[in-house]
Parts: sequence; structure tokens; C-alpha cells
Amino acid sequence: MIEREDELMIAYQNGDAAALDRIYTLLKPSLYSFIFRYTRDEQFSIDIVQDSFIKLQRYKHHYNPKNGKLKSYLFQIAYRLMITKLNRRNKWRTFLPFLFPIAAEELHHADRITIRDAVAKLPEIHRAVILLFYYHDMTHDEIASILGIPKGTVKSRLHRAIQLLKDELEGDYYENGSL
Amino acid sequence: MKMDPFKKDHYLRSKLDEYHVEVPDFPMKPKAKRWERFINLLASPAKNPLEPLITTANGSALVIVPIAGTAAITLIQILFFL
Repeated sequence: MIEREDELMIAYQNGDAAALDRIYTLLKPSLYSFIFRYTRDEQFSIDIVQDSFIKLQRYKHHYNPKNGKLKSYLFQIAYRLMITKLNRRNKWRTFLPFLFPIAAEELHHADRITIRDAVAKLPEIHRAVILLFYYHDMTHDEIASILGIPKGTVKSRLHRAIQLLKDELEGDYYENGSL
Repeated sequence: MKMDPFKKDHYLRSKLDEYHVEVPDFPMKPKAKRWERFINLLASPAKNPLEPLITTANGSALVIVPIAGTAAITLIQILFFL
């Protein structure tokens, strides 16, 4: 099934510049939410969304609707950019730790663990899978193509992520009583 | 068919649904250039690298560090000028 944004992308490939603005309006919120939930860094998330759209414009003819939805294609671009930037940032952080902004976790002092903290505590490989599956309603195949991992790995990581989240929220669950 | 592993986990589902993200309004094209982003990074609040030396449980480092520093400077002066 061809989605609205896929049709718009085809129009953009055929020279309709206004179609890109509509794609941006449609996909910006979900792309930003994914990056923000992954990193919890507002400015970083904005940079990644903007860089992803620059890359989409630059390589607009690389997109083929037969290979998947535009949303998956854009998320793949964004995920790769984000991982490259995070790895680069971590390298610099090792050498010059005092140059880097204080992490959001260090500013947060709530006693009770929130879902934000629980998601942030997940190992990165598990975090991406659960975010894409739960919040963006992506299939195992789509997640596998975005993250560049086999479908079986997506399933096992999703299972593990759910288990880790449950363990993390367990205390909160017993405080509130079971639902 | 897509299996939903959250189907039986109502509690986890309700917690995940609590996680809302407010999407700020920003244009498609970045206003700030690469070097401006770097300047923003440098200007953001950062950790003090001397923090572990200054803050200790009983504050003894606050006393020890100036004394040790003064002693070191005195020693350097003695070695160079005497």
C-alpha cells in the first residue's frame, strides 16, 4: 500500500518542490520524537531532523517506493546520522569531558522512576527497537532495515527490552498496585 | 501478521503511553551553520573538571588544596632562587 508521504516523495522526485514541505510537515513530529526519546537532547534532535532532510533532498533519487515506505527510509537516514554523531561525541567526551554539556539525567532528581528514565536507562540497542515498535508502529522488517540488523535480532531485542522495562518499573508497579 | 507483545501488559502499555514529546517549531533548513553549532556546544553548561577536588564529604579538600598549593609554590621559589 502506498502511503501519502510516499506519493509526495514521488512528486518531489518529479520536480514538485512544494511536496517536500508537505513531507516535512507530515514526518517531522514522528522523526523528532524518535530522536528525542532516544537521546533526550532537544538541540541534538533538531540538528538530526534537519540534517536528515538535507540528506533526503541530496539523495532524493535514491529512494524507491518498491523498497519500502518513505518513513522507514527517512528513519534509516536519521538513525545512521544519530549513531555517527553520538559515537563521535563519545570519542571527544573521552578526551575532553569538561567540554560537554551536563547530561539531562544529572539534572533530574525525582525519587520515583519515570518512564522517561526507564527508557533512557535501556541499553542503546534495545532502546531503538522498543521506540520504533511501540511509538512508531513499525513492523519487525522495517525495524530490521532501519537498524541494519536481522529480523530475528529485532525480535529478541524487543523481548529483552520489554523485560528490562518491566524490571525497571517493577517498584513503581507495586507502589501503585496492579492494574 | 504482526504479533503484539504488549497485548497482555496493560501496565507497561499505560506507562509507555505517558511518555509524550512536545515537538518544538523549527524550520527544515538549519539556521545555524556548522561552526555556530560548535560554538553553541562550547557555550552550553559543562562539568567542572576540578569538581572532585573541591567537593568532598567533609570539605577537607577545601583546606588541604590551598595549603598544598602554597607549599608547592614556596618549594618552587626556594629551588629556583636559593
